[in-house]
Amino acid sequence: MDENELEKICDTLDRLTLDALTLIQEEIELKVNAENAMIGGETHLAKTRYILGQNSVSSLQLPSENSSEFEALTVVHSSTDDFGSKRFDLESYKPDNEVYMNPIKWFGFMPPQNLHFAQNLYRQALQWIVQAANVQTKLEETCVQIKQLQGLKRKLTTTKS
Amino acid sequence: MALHSAVKGKLISVIGDEDTCVGFLLGGVGEINKNRHSNFMVVDKNTAVSEIEDCFKRFLKRDDIDIILINQNVAEIIRHVVDSHNSPVPAILEIPSKDHPYDSSKDSILRRAKGMFNPEDMF
Repeated sequence: MDENELEKICDTLDRLTLDALTLIQEEIELKVNAENAMIGGETHLAKTRYILGQNSVSSLQLPSENSSEFEALTVVHSSTDDFGSKRFDLESYKPDNEVYMNPIKWFGFMPPQNLHFAQNLYRQALQWIVQAANVQTKLEETCVQIKQLQGLKRKLTTTKS
Repeated sequence: MALHSAVKGKLISVIGDEDTCVGFLLGGVGEINKNRHSNFMVVDKNTAVSEIEDCFKRFLKRDDIDIILINQNVAEIIRHVVDSHNSPVPAILEIPSKDHPYDSSKDSILRRAKGMFNPEDMF
């Protein structure tokens, strides 16, 4: 009975370990994709600064705690699937100039094309990042399962010996 | 999608250098709420470690934030606080920055996961 149980635990541990390794690889790939999109975005931010001036695209244009309140255009929805895993989904609202303002307007009303390119690339990076967050959550869950099974295996092997 | 629109989603917060914050806020993640609290923090060379730590802890406590994006070099500064977070929500994602490319060996979660494959623990 114990022998059978131990074999089952070892099989499951093998499968979970392989899953964890695949998830690690997947997360790294997604983050590299996000990094590439961010590099593209940074290049376009730099080109915008070249056109408009050094301080035209900086933290000075970002809203501060004294600015009027506004809501995020891009949010995440979390849900739990049948297996109890958490999942994030990205949702973007259309800017309507009332509740949801297009952030590009912080940088002037006629921003250069490069700023639009940068905005699109950062939106792409967000898509990759949310996917990476989903993979990371799965990886954490797999690690918890591996730890539990390792504990169980240790208990069984010590009682056997 | 229809279901999503009916329920207000949670925020993505950003702690990072100027370009990271400007970029992701341009992407639409920024918000100033009714209490005039923002969900982002620009870190520069003059920012005190305690300020970053306080901001990170504040974001962890906020129930309207589901994902915290933090530049990996900034996460390195407050590594002890980042490592102590174990809950799946908010998810903490370490992202690269302009001057610091992504290094998976420094990532808190990946390091924890790789640590599980220690040969002594496997048998």
